[in-house]
Amino acid sequence: MISRLINWLDERIEILNIKKTLFDRLIPKGVGWPYVLGSVSLFLFTLQVVTGILLAMNYSPSPEHAHASVAYIMQKIPMGKVVRGLHHWGASFMVVAVTLHLLRTFFYGAYKYPRELTWITGLFIWLLVLGFGFTGYLLPWDQKAYWATMVGTNIASQAPLLGPAIAKVLRGGEALGAVTLTRFYAFHVLLLPALIVLLLAVHLCLVVRLGISAPPEKEKKP
Amino acid sequence: MDIDRRNFLKQGIFIMGGLITAGIGIPATTYFLAPLWHKEEEDWIEAGTVADFPIGEPFKIDFVQRKHDGWMTVEGRSSAWAVTSDGKQFTVFDPRCTHLGCPYRWDTEKKKFLCPCHNAVFSITGEVLAGPPPRPLDHLPAKVAGGKLLIKPAEKKEEG
Ligand code: FES
Repeated sequence: MISRLINWLDERIEILNIKKTLFDRLIPKGVGWPYVLGSVSLFLFTLQVVTGILLAMNYSPSPEHAHASVAYIMQKIPMGKVVRGLHHWGASFMVVAVTLHLLRTFFYGAYKYPRELTWITGLFIWLLVLGFGFTGYLLPWDQKAYWATMVGTNIASQAPLLGPAIAKVLRGGEALGAVTLTRFYAFHVLLLPALIVLLLAVHLCLVVRLGISAPPEKEKKP
Repeated sequence: MDIDRRNFLKQGIFIMGGLITAGIGIPATTYFLAPLWHKEEEDWIEAGTVADFPIGEPFKIDFVQRKHDGWMTVEGRSSAWAVTSDGKQFTVFDPRCTHLGCPYRWDTEKKKFLCPCHNAVFSITGEVLAGPPPRPLDHLPAKVAGGKLLIKPAEKKEEG
């Protein structure tokens, strides 16, 4: 039954070839645990997408309702605690995993020719992940969230020349308030996801196309 | 069954993948389908002191109803008609006419419930005496506790 379906698909779109390209890639000798960080990040990203969609179903991004709707998720919805917990901790793990992945790539010299584009898209993905963390942190709308965002946007305003303008755009106004919350929500669930999906697609295509680099070896003495 | 290293790892990956998928999938599905097994527990509402109510004559009770709407609690004013023959057993009628939901009233002279919308007439027990309503007046759950009349207002639902 399943093999017939696979055959049907294979005759039309060569699904076995696709599978071979995606999953049966040759990998260099000597790769080990440090090489799983990219896959870990991808797994965590999927987790954040799933739990994030679920949370958005019950979250209300307004100063009056944000905190109460989060409490509603935590107390009233079956498994609400688990889903929010996964999103909360997944976010922290995501930053750690992506950062380690980046450091691994850097220290192994894996960013070098011909993989510069993989590296550059990866850097931007890393920035987007930090953006997710920053915007998501405000959404529970409790004291910690409020003051952390206050500090964050104040840091932005310290930048020379453009600083105050950047802070104003981030906050949606002079003060941190209702508009900041809706803006951050829009960034968190619309803008950043669109950008990261785009960059991830390029990043992963490049990984498949170029393969991964071999671990660096000590130079052999002649 | 003989199993080589490659197949052992393959199966190990499938099992772990299955466990992780279930570990996330079960909570996620439960969360998503939560509205299905959500039961709104209606609370008993205090509708007044029993001793204040007339016996043998229907009277209107007004009360504040608190409703849960997600994380919000909204308060709304509601009313109902009630009647008792002995001051112990109360019959409480849903304040909406069973025809199209107009509020009816008790006519003290005719000793009937009259609905102004399409001239329905109900008896003191809620039976239809005249007009278009398809069934007698609806009852609301009611009980007496500690000298107070307690009722459970019906949910506002669409006719159908
Ligand atoms: S609504 Fe009462 S008679 Fe029609």
